[in-house]
Parts: sequence; structure tokens; C-alpha cells
Amino acid sequence: MREGLVIFRRELRSYFLSPIAYVFGGLFLGILLFVASASSLQNGAQANMQAFFGLLPFLLLLFVPALTMRSWAEERKQGTIELLMTFPVTGAQLVLGKFAAAVAYLAFVLVLTLGLPLTLAAYGRLDWTPILGSYLASVLFASSFVAVGMFWSSLTRDQIIAMLVSLVTLLALYMLGYPQLIELMAQWLPAVCIDLLNGISPYKYFESIGRGVIDTRDIVYFACFCGFFLYANTLVLQARRQKG
Amino acid sequence: MIEVERLEKNYGFARALKGISFSVQKGEVIGFLGPNGAGKSTTMKILTGYLLPSGGRASVAGFDVVAQSLEVRRRIGYLPESTPLYAEMRVDDYLMFVAEIRGVPRDKRRSAIARAVELCALERVTGKNILELSKGYRQRVGLAQAIVHEPPVLILDEPTSGLDPNQIVEVRKLIERLGAEHTVVLSTHYLQEVEKSCSRVIIVNRGDIVADGTRDELVSRQPLGGLRARVRGPETQMLSQLGELLPGCPVTVLERSPDAVVYRIDVGAGSAPIEESLTRLVVKNGWDMLELQRERPSLEDVFRALTIGSEKEVAHA
Repeated sequence: MREGLVIFRRELRSYFLSPIAYVFGGLFLGILLFVASASSLQNGAQANMQAFFGLLPFLLLLFVPALTMRSWAEERKQGTIELLMTFPVTGAQLVLGKFAAAVAYLAFVLVLTLGLPLTLAAYGRLDWTPILGSYLASVLFASSFVAVGMFWSSLTRDQIIAMLVSLVTLLALYMLGYPQLIELMAQWLPAVCIDLLNGISPYKYFESIGRGVIDTRDIVYFACFCGFFLYANTLVLQARRQKG
Repeated sequence: MIEVERLEKNYGFARALKGISFSVQKGEVIGFLGPNGAGKSTTMKILTGYLLPSGGRASVAGFDVVAQSLEVRRRIGYLPESTPLYAEMRVDDYLMFVAEIRGVPRDKRRSAIARAVELCALERVTGKNILELSKGYRQRVGLAQAIVHEPPVLILDEPTSGLDPNQIVEVRKLIERLGAEHTVVLSTHYLQEVEKSCSRVIIVNRGDIVADGTRDELVSRQPLGGLRARVRGPETQMLSQLGELLPGCPVTVLERSPDAVVYRIDVGAGSAPIEESLTRLVVKNGWDMLELQRERPSLEDVFRALTIGSEKEVAHA
């Protein structure tokens, strides 16, 4: 636990020591706030937040792979992984430390967007329950993307490949939660397959929590999703020790 | 302190280690010598827990490197080849990170870092980013991170590669100082390094240990080279007389100058001293012995004799 925290702190600090945190955060916030405020205030505060949370999953889809592509690939390329893996730290501590740092960074960026609902609240009535629900959903949603991105990063020393494969994986998962696509597929596939495919898409659960109703099943889903990819990540690290 | 038994490592079909065994006592400084690809780095990576062996076993301070990997890693300081460091971090922050992750107690971290900084002469760069440092300083930061938690065992993979001669001398001095308190295993291409700072030498070649002993032991096992004599006198007569005096010893002429000829007499292994009889022969004939020298086998000769040809064969494989 203590070792995991040390890794977490170093990783988080490393985000802020490299330009990526600022470029990423700046672009992310800029696009998000621009689009959200572009849908004019006349639509009402609630409508504006809906535009914001409508765009957020898609932006995370594009940005998270760019953030996580470095996590292992860079360590392998620089050779620092050799020191990291010879510290008295378990693979699980390494993976969780890195994961938590990326999630903390994304949560920090999301906290910065709170300025938008706070401003809107000054102009009109705002129902905070779905908004806070959506923020929670966004953090969970981003976490699941981080777990996928880190997993792919652990399999290659090439950051670009890590990013592209993550992007494709996340896009596929995202689409599976898209109602129109599901309807289209329903014509071809039996209902069981549709339910299964739809069931693994994080997007579905994002919407569910976003309505402001926090269902334990949704939380459990995200925990399982992240757990699966993080565990796979530790297996990759272990396999590397074997293979050399 | 370190016990290695029939250690094997395969990378796919390539056999990097073919079952090596050796042991290192507390306080020894071991030099690992060998051509590139001989298995030096692989051995070190297994000892530090970075790689798992394919066969055999190894233990450090009584802990098995596979079953008790974390215990082993707690007792080791490691400098990997080419000194990987987090370039974006400051030197002092980086050393603090290593001290924390290596489990140095909170109240001792400052003094542990100060000690490492002092030993590695890093005082002037502690506030700088690692990115800005010269190769020599980076290497010393690498050494500082390896010793910050005062591990009983230090494993250094080519600690002086890529440094200029002055930096090599500095790093070598540092290793000598570290050798007083730690058990050290270092690998190198530089034979002088082993002669200067190691108490024992292990030569590896193509995944096998081909020699293991102190420098003097290894050199004494090497057959004595030859005798070089610089003589002023007629060459043909000298050669025929030499043939009578030392039958069966090949003689070659190395050099001819107007006033003298340099002969090399291959006296072979374990032959009795012949300097006296040779001198008497020259004097008896009225010639002049200008120089007489016994070729001393060096560690380099030992190394070449044991590992020569390996590169050619590796290239074929």
C-alpha cells in the first residue's frame, strides 16, 4: 500500500512536470467549455449541462489514449522499467499506482470544469443531482478508459501503437452502447448477443449514472471492467519477467 | 551473500545462460567479464529480480530470487546498463523517490540522500533536472540511487561505459570506496577496471563461466608467454645455437635493426628459467645481450585466450 502510494505520487507529479498535462488539460477544457457555452444560454442551464455531458464521453475517448499511451511504453523505451521492476514493489502496486495517478489527473481536470455549472447556476435554476451524478459517472467512465489504455501501453514500447489500439478498442466499446447501432445490429444478431454486447459497453452505464440515480450495479460494473484490464496488465508485467 | 546454481535462461530458442554456478562472499568485489552477449547482463537481471530464470536457482542474502523476490530486491542496489533515469525529475526529488520506494524510514531519508550525494559528489547538481546533466553526472546519479538505501549487495551493469577517461577514474574510485561496505558485482568491458577494483574475476563466454578466480590465479594459469632477447651478433649463428640450447622451442625474429636483432623464444608452459643459460650463450660467443625480457601474461591474454572466436561464431549462429 505504502509503495503503491509512492508510485502514485511520482506518477502524478510526472504528469505535471511534463508539458503533456498542460497541453492536454488546456485543449480538453477549451473544447469542452467552448462547445458547452456555444449552445446559447437561452436554452436554459440544464440544457447546457446536457450538451456538456453529451460531448464529454467522446472527448475522453479521444484524450485518454493520448494520456495513457506513455504509461508503460515510455518506461520500456527509456529503460526505466528495469529499475521500476527491481524496486521492492509488487506488480499490482505498480499498476494500481499508475492507474490511480492517471485517474486523479483526469479528476483534477474535471474538477476544473465545475466552473461551468457554477456559472450557469448564477443565471438560472440548476438541478444539481444529475449534474453531480454525471460527474461521478465521468470519473468512473474515464477510469475504465485509463485501464484499457494502460493495458495496451504495457504490450508495446511504441506509444503511437499503444494510442491507436486503445482508441480503436475504446471506440468499439463506445459504439456498443450507442442505441442506433444496437438497433441496427438487432436485425442481424440474436437478442442474447445484443444484450451481452450492450452490457459490456461503459457508455450505457455512463448514461445510467448520469441520470442522477446511483445504482450499485453500475458501480460494480465499472469496478469489474477496470479490475479486468488492470489484472491483465499485471499479467503482462509478469509475462515479461518470464520472457525477458 | 550470493549463491548461483546451474542457472539457465533462454530467450526463445537462444540459450543466454547454460547453467552457470558461482558464489560471492560478503565483502567481495566481483568483476564480471565477457564479450557482448556472453550473459553478463542476463545474470544480473536475474539476480535483481527483473527476469525469471528458465532453470536452476539463485539466492541473495539467503533469499531465493524467484520465491522471495521482494526480499531479495530490498537488499539490492542496482544500476542497469545505460543508466535509465526519469529525465524530467530533479536529482534530489529522484533520490527522494528512490529512498521512499526502497523503504528508507522517513526520519532517515534526508541523511541517507545526503550520504549518497556526498559519496557520488553530486552536491553541485542536486537542484538540477536529470535531463540537463552530462553523461558522467547521470552515471553518478545512477550510482547514488543504487546506494541510497545502503543495500548489502550492489549490482552494477557496466558502470563506466560511455564515460571519458577522467570520469572512468572517478567512478572507479567510487566503486572502490563502495566495495569497503558493500558486496559488489560489476560487469565491464574494461580489463583495467577489473585489475584495479575487483577482488575476484568471473569470465563468462556464450552463457558459460570459463574462468573464476583472483586476478593472479587466472594469470598464473595462463601459460607463460615467451622470452624476448635483443642481441647484437650474427643472426644465423645465433639461431642455430639457440636451436641446440633449447630444442623444441620455436624461435621467431621480431625485429631487425642495423645494430641488433630481437628474438622471441616461445618457452612454453611451465619451463624452467632459462635466462641464465641464454645470457651465458651470448656472452660466450662474444656477442652483446642488449635486452632480455620475460613476457608477462596479462588478464587481457587470459581473456582473449578464453573468449576468442566467440564473436565469429555468434555471428554465424
